[in-house]
Amino acid sequence: MDNAIVKLRGYKDGLHLIINPKVSLNEVETAIHELLSEMNQSLSGTSIQIDMMTTPLTSDDLKELETHLTKSYDLVVSGVNVLDEKDESPILAAPTTHSISQELSLDTPTHVENAQVVRQTIRSGQTTACLTGSIILYGDVNPGGEVIASGDIVVLGALRGSAHAGANGSLSSVIIAMDLVPLQLQIGTYVNRPPLVQKPRGYPEIARVGAEGIIIVEEFIKF
Amino acid sequence: MGKVIVITSGKGGVGKTTSTANLGTALAMIEKTVVIVDADVGLRNLDVVMGLESRVVYTSMDVIEKRCELSKALVKDRRVENLMLLAASQRNRKDDIRPEQMQDICEKLKEEYDFVLIDSPAGIEQGFHNAAAGADEAIIVTTPDLSAIRDADRIIGLLQNEGIEPINLVINRLSATLVRKGNMISKNDVLDILNIDLIGVIPEDTGVIASTNRGVPLVHTDRSPGAEAYMRIARRMIGQRVPIPDMREDSFLDQIANWFSRNK
Repeated sequence: MDNAIVKLRGYKDGLHLIINPKVSLNEVETAIHELLSEMNQSLSGTSIQIDMMTTPLTSDDLKELETHLTKSYDLVVSGVNVLDEKDESPILAAPTTHSISQELSLDTPTHVENAQVVRQTIRSGQTTACLTGSIILYGDVNPGGEVIASGDIVVLGALRGSAHAGANGSLSSVIIAMDLVPLQLQIGTYVNRPPLVQKPRGYPEIARVGAEGIIIVEEFIKF
Repeated sequence: MGKVIVITSGKGGVGKTTSTANLGTALAMIEKTVVIVDADVGLRNLDVVMGLESRVVYTSMDVIEKRCELSKALVKDRRVENLMLLAASQRNRKDDIRPEQMQDICEKLKEEYDFVLIDSPAGIEQGFHNAAAGADEAIIVTTPDLSAIRDADRIIGLLQNEGIEPINLVINRLSATLVRKGNMISKNDVLDILNIDLIGVIPEDTGVIASTNRGVPLVHTDRSPGAEAYMRIARRMIGQRVPIPDMREDSFLDQIANWFSRNK
C-alpha cells in the first residue's frame, strides 16, 4: 500500500496518516480518497493522527482536511503532528509514539530554561517526567525506569533505563549521565538503541542529535 | 511490640519461602518469639518447607472468616520453641483476602511476638499487596541474575511507594566460583543497581534442596555455609553487628599463589 502522497501506518498508539510535504490540499484529498477506497475494510469511526512535515498547507487547509476526513470517511482525527523539516525520513520510519510526548502542545517553547530536581532512584516501572523543562536527577535510572523531559536530562548517576529528552520535539536537547549505559535514548523524535553489550566507561557522556540526524554519544567534557 | 517484616522478591523461585523458613527458625533459635506467615494463598509452601504440613488445621482464611481464633490457627514448630506458623488457605485465591484483613492479623501478631515474617507470593498483584499490607519493614530476596534483579528493583519501587522502610537485601545463591570466572553478576554489581542495604549473602548450597525435601530448615544443619549465612542474617536482624564475610572469589590454588607472591 505504498502511496507517494499519503501513507497509512499503524503504530503503538493507533493509526497515523503520513502526508507528503510538497503537495497541495487537492492532491492530498485525491490521494486519501484513492488510498481509502483501495482498502477492503472500512475505517469508519477509527481514530487517526495526521503526521506531516512543515508544508505549504496552511492551518486552514489542515482544518479543512480534518473536516473532510470526518465527513467523508467518518474518521476521528485525534491529533495533528507537524514534524520539523530537518527530520527527514527517519521520522516517517519511526515517529515518536510516547503518549506523554503527544500530550504536549507543539507551541511549547523549545528552549526551556527551568529545571526540575529529582532526588530519587528511578526504578523499574517508575517514570519521572517534566513537561515544562529539564530534569536534573540525583540518582540512577535503572533498567525499566524512564525519565522524560521537554528539555535536557542530566543524570548525576548511572542511566541504565530509558531517557527521552526534548519530548516536545526539540532536537537541541541533550542527555548527560555520569554513566551512560541506557536501554534506549530518545531525543525529540529520534530513537537510539545502543549496542547490546555496553560497559561503563568511567567518565560522563553526552548524547545529542548529530548532523546526520542520528543520536551521537561522546565523552562529556564541557558544554 | 514486635516487627512485621515482609520477605518478597517479585520473581518466583529465588528463595523467599526458604529464606522465611530459615530466618524464622534462626531467630527462634536465638531466643526470639517468631511467627512466620504464609501469604501465598492458594499455593502455600511454607508449611511443607517447615515440615508442618500435616499439622495445619486452620489457616489465615479461617481467622479472617472468624471460624477460629488467631491463636488457635498458629501451628507450633516441631523443633524450636517460640516459633509459630500461620498457614495460608489452599482452597482460596489471593483476591479472597483484602489488605486490611492481613493488616489486622499482623497488628495482632506483633503485639505478642518479636518477629512476624510474611512469606510473600511472587508477582506484583493482589497477593503481593496483601503480603506487604501489614509490614513495617521488608527483606528483598534476589539471586544474582538479571531477571531477578530487574524484578527486585520493581518491587523496591512499589514498597517505597507504600512507605515501607527499611528495605534490606538478601542475595541468594551466590557462587564465588562463577563470579570469579566472570559468569555471574557479583555482589557489588547487584548492590550497584539496587542501591539498598545488604543484610546478607547466601552462598549457593546444595544442602538447601535436601533440607527443603526433608522439611527441616537448613539452619538446623551444622557447618553448612548456607545455614551459617542465615544465622548471621538473623543476628543482624536483632541489631548485632555481624560483618558480611567476603566470599572467597579466589580458588584454593589462587590463594596459595597469592600467599607465595605476597611473601616473596
